[in-house]
Amino acid sequence: MNCGEGIDTRQIDELFINLDPIQAGGRLTTDAMKAVLAYGDGYSVCDHCTKPFRLDHISKPPLAEFHRDLASFLNMDVARLVPGARRGFQAVASALVKPGDPVLLTAYSHYTEFLSVEQSRGMAFEIPANDSHIITPDGAAARIEEVSKTTGKTPALMFIEQVDYQYGNQHPVSDLIKVAHQYDIPVLCNGAYTIGIMDVNGKELGADFLVGSGHKSMAAPAPSGVLATTSEWAETVFRTTGIKGDLTGRTFGVKEVEMMGCTLMGVTSVGMMASFPHVKRRVKEFDAQVQYVNRIVDALLTIEGTKVQSEYPRKHTLTRMNTTDSFDTVARTHKKKGFFLTSALRERGIAGILAGSTRVWKFNSYGITSEQADYIAESFIEIAEKEGLACSR
Amino acid sequence: MSKRSVDAVFQGLYLLTDIRGMLRDTVPHHHLSVEQKKEAEKILGKLEKQVAILKEELLA
Repeated sequence: MNCGEGIDTRQIDELFINLDPIQAGGRLTTDAMKAVLAYGDGYSVCDHCTKPFRLDHISKPPLAEFHRDLASFLNMDVARLVPGARRGFQAVASALVKPGDPVLLTAYSHYTEFLSVEQSRGMAFEIPANDSHIITPDGAAARIEEVSKTTGKTPALMFIEQVDYQYGNQHPVSDLIKVAHQYDIPVLCNGAYTIGIMDVNGKELGADFLVGSGHKSMAAPAPSGVLATTSEWAETVFRTTGIKGDLTGRTFGVKEVEMMGCTLMGVTSVGMMASFPHVKRRVKEFDAQVQYVNRIVDALLTIEGTKVQSEYPRKHTLTRMNTTDSFDTVARTHKKKGFFLTSALRERGIAGILAGSTRVWKFNSYGITSEQADYIAESFIEIAEKEGLACSR
Repeated sequence: MSKRSVDAVFQGLYLLTDIRGMLRDTVPHHHLSVEQKKEAEKILGKLEKQVAILKEELLA
């Protein structure tokens, strides 16, 4: 069934339990799907845009209120919608990093954080992780000292991930920020895997900038996200235009330079806004989601040779497994080779794990029910037993 | 302009979206609980009303 010429109708989330590491938290709520139907046209939020002609001032649909609510939800002073977390990184780097400035990232920073530094012509320095795949305050302090000494400059900015994309581990953000602040380094906390899924309190963390992803963790269409900051930094990162056309003398009102004016002018902002009441409720229910993922990991660990590479017990639903000594031993002789696992899962209505993976792979169980958690756990064991792997349940 | 038919189109789409949500919530087997079945029945009844409005407005 097509939804346009040559465009197949996507039905993954209607037919399968979707464990895709990057898709789970961005699955739309029914209200967001309704918003998509009503606001799919291009500049659909601009019907009632009046002076000063800026997205965060539009009151119908209630975007102005949504911006205020977002800031309050994150316990920050000011928030703006951005086209994905990456555009939040870009805005902050553009405002704070000058050519040649050292910038700290971590061993688990997303590539777009690096690109934002590169675009600002800064120099990237990574804080290493420890053996448990955690970024530690001691590691950060040592790297700050070293970088300051070798470059002769204090880093202009530090990026840290609250939960990283590689292991889904939670890092001690509050303590890392304390260390950075001792050196007067502003900190951007990347909450792409947390904001909209877990309770995130920016002031409690001490973050100067909080960046979240709408399409990754706030049940919103892509590209969407949020950049929130404190009143101390708002004027810097949300500076308004001062440029003037030399021939026409045109000026551009209160458009914000780093935002490139208005950001999400249609379905993305309204989709995000439609999901927001649900998002506010669901962050309070994260503990149940953690229980479910641990149930799945516990089941996987009963399969001999299986290891969990993420911190365990799990504190987040994004999880990295190593099944080199279990499922991969089957793949070596199976007629479907490495594809046997994802194929067997698909037969059971489970999708989202990278096709062909039997060594190191990730899944994200966010958004499932207790019954679905049991079903996934049972499915893994059933597949293992069918293929002759020893299970200790 | 038939505002009534436009409203019926959106109401219909929203009701179908509620069914879509139900399908998503119950993957992969779509076994609906007693409550979910009652809810689905209610939604489908409302959907039939919207279709009837559209027939009345557009085909009469």
